Amino acid sequence: MNFYDLHLHSEFSEGESSIEEIANRAKLLGYEGICFTTYLDEKNKIKETKEITSKLSEKIGIDIFTGFEARNISELDKLVKLRREYDVLLVKGYDLLLNRKAVETTEVDILTHPEYNRRDSGFNHVMAELATENDVAIEVNFREILNSSKNTRANVMHKIKNNVELCKKYKTPIIICSGAVTHWQLRDPKFLISMGCLLGLKLDEAKKAMSEVPENIIKMIKERQDKKWIRPGVKVM
Amino acid sequence: MKQKKLKILKPTLREKERYIAFQVISEEGEEFNYSDLEAAIWNTMLDFLGEEGVSKTSVWLMKDCWDPRIQKGILRCNNKSVQEVIASLGLIDRLGDNRITFKILKISGTIKSIREKLC
Repeated sequence: MNFYDLHLHSEFSEGESSIEEIANRAKLLGYEGICFTTYLDEKNKIKETKEITSKLSEKIGIDIFTGFEARNISELDKLVKLRREYDVLLVKGYDLLLNRKAVETTEVDILTHPEYNRRDSGFNHVMAELATENDVAIEVNFREILNSSKNTRANVMHKIKNNVELCKKYKTPIIICSGAVTHWQLRDPKFLISMGCLLGLKLDEAKKAMSEVPENIIKMIKERQDKKWIRPGVKVM
Repeated sequence: MKQKKLKILKPTLREKERYIAFQVISEEGEEFNYSDLEAAIWNTMLDFLGEEGVSKTSVWLMKDCWDPRIQKGILRCNNKSVQEVIASLGLIDRLGDNRITFKILKISGTIKSIREKLC
């Protein structure tokens, strides 16, 4: 089974480790592919990042993708227009309007931690239905659990459990990512799968969240970057 | 007076065990001893699962299987709590002042096959 982590930050965005350090660690831990996420402010660096990642990808033998994480609705609108220039589109969840907009947008691949910095879980049954309809994966972010402790960790895990339960009920794709900002926060895929199991997923569902769901996103990326592709379901023949 | 030994349970009544082979990845190949690692694992598990939770796992870091040279070891637990033990291991990010991470090498039901993986 091939495992992927589609939410990582290198020194090009908020991260502390270099792309090479993270890619080497990912290879050592058994990942087949990773995605470096950055923000719209770093748009000018995307070419530089892509050059580095393509060289590294060949050198290390791991698939490396580039993605953007939208932090507000205006950023999301701008990123949707540039959709074919990068691989993965993530939306940084926390604001209810943004979470709703993310699950309504077909171009979005992943809604990251909808419960982030909130008292509630930031995700409800309406959003779950929309996410299923538009094929937007809901992220279980391991960094949120790793960086918190005691009561904060208990609260975070409780909110994630609620979201997982909703996703299971509405058959919304769930993706487990480390959200690592340094190569030390990157974990063996087995740890993330186990954490998924503790958060209410069955073992096969947790494995799917680390392999099949990201593989579907990657398949979509490849389709989208094809010149014949126009929009989901529409292609020049 | 010599204490009488307990009669061994039948195999069907015994707890089913799982062995988890792991490797510690550290900065600049730092070497850790058994007691440091044992303390880190116990503290994290007690924090994460609580005393009652840990009691259900029957977790034990096997002393004779820890090799400080290659930083590989075996953790024993029961078959029902493998995911809890692995998830707890994933939450350890420091050992003393050093940053560490774990890599799971193999999970097995017998010590024999897992020892082969370590050698």
